[in-house]
Amino acid sequence: MLGKLLKYEIKATSRTFLPMYALLIVFALLNKFFMAVNADYLRIPQIIAMSVFVVIIVGICVMTLIVTIQRFNKNLLTDEGYLSFTLPVKAHAHIDSKMIVSLMWSLLSVIVSFIAIFVMAVNEKTIQGIHEFLAQAVPAFNSLGASGYVILLEGIVLVIIATLGSIVTIYAAITIGNMSSKHKLLAGLGAYLGFGIIEQIVASVIITSFGGTFQRYFESLNRATMSAQIGAVQLVMLWMILYTLFFGALYYILTNWMLQRKLNLE
Amino acid sequence: MENILECQNLVKFFPGCLALNSVNLTVPRGKIVGLLGPNGSGKSTLIKLANGLITPTSGKILINGMEPGIETKKIVSYLPERTYLNDWMTVNNMIEFFCDFYENFNKQKAYEMLKKLGVDPAQRLKTMSKGTKEKVQLILVMSREAELYLLDEPIGGVDPAARDYILDTIIGNYNENASIIISTHLISDVEKILDGIIFINKGSIVLTSTVDDIREHENKSVDTLFREVFKC
Repeated sequence: MLGKLLKYEIKATSRTFLPMYALLIVFALLNKFFMAVNADYLRIPQIIAMSVFVVIIVGICVMTLIVTIQRFNKNLLTDEGYLSFTLPVKAHAHIDSKMIVSLMWSLLSVIVSFIAIFVMAVNEKTIQGIHEFLAQAVPAFNSLGASGYVILLEGIVLVIIATLGSIVTIYAAITIGNMSSKHKLLAGLGAYLGFGIIEQIVASVIITSFGGTFQRYFESLNRATMSAQIGAVQLVMLWMILYTLFFGALYYILTNWMLQRKLNLE
Repeated sequence: MENILECQNLVKFFPGCLALNSVNLTVPRGKIVGLLGPNGSGKSTLIKLANGLITPTSGKILINGMEPGIETKKIVSYLPERTYLNDWMTVNNMIEFFCDFYENFNKQKAYEMLKKLGVDPAQRLKTMSKGTKEKVQLILVMSREAELYLLDEPIGGVDPAARDYILDTIIGNYNENASIIISTHLISDVEKILDGIIFINKGSIVLTSTVDDIREHENKSVDTLFREVFKC
């Protein structure tokens, strides 16, 4: 059933994203053309095209956030929820499908924006620059050995977990907001801020309790060997992953529990 | 399991309002039952509880002996009193959607009914009138071969001619093992297809009876009885 939910979730959201991506690529090419011609009489259209390009990139970022909120709220907690919640699927399947598709668009938006910028800016100079960068970066990366790949993998996992974590934080806030019968938006915002405050408190408690230990650990690293320092990076990344995962899992469980047990569609 | 729907001391409390007050109720299989009551009497609340869209404050609601969940959602076909269709889809899309999620959805039946009521399956829901949307929704719901149909105000928004066709399809389409619960206040329209009635007022069941009993013993139509019981 998750597969079917994913199918319809992608169907419902791609209507928004694909035209935006197409528009971005069109304007990237347009800007590239203007830059290639570089004529004085085209200066004003060139500036406009460039501004539009920037606006579209900002628009895509904003859109990703809005669609994340909108799909969850509208499809589950308004009239459409009457259909969603009478489908023979578990509540968590709804969360999973929406979370996965939101993650997909978030990553895709970043990738497409980079491609657009690359397409626009690419010329002999930039290619040469990239070659020079790679010529230095690759040997440096290889000198790390297997740890390089571990750190890279940890980085990717951290980005994914952090994105999923922030998506599910929004879901939890919306679901809590929906429990209020009158001020859903306000309650949702309040819940979101509340989560932020709780996370801050937890973070400061950890730092004040173990601050000294952390400091001594990092100071000792200054005098440590290269391999010990690399090991430390791996370890710190691992802790960051676990920390993000912990809060993400909490919000996920909270959202699922409320959708299962406390659902009150108007 | 003889009873398709059973409520045991079912209570639903909304902030500032007792929507259902200790309701005990059984609906057997193979019956068409009218859930009748004035506005705000708890009809929709009861139906929403049966669908798991809201959770009971206390007590139990059982469908085929199970609390609302995946297994009951497979056998319950629900028509809410509002339109829940995603407006960017076409009717064809919606039929595909129902086919994907409900094993008991009968595609052929859906297309037949659409044709009969003159709805173009390629039309987007966004461009439809409210009445047409309601027709589409009812067709989708009645095209499922379910064991329990819960119809909340199914004919409120459609014209009387379509109303008759819809009622005919309702009785023509369900098998004898299935039950239908129709909530409405358009009693005279649905009276002819009902086997039994449940009168509900202010969250409590006032009367349950069969239509035959009312006709024989009280010598009244359901409509007249309703007007008497709920006289303002």
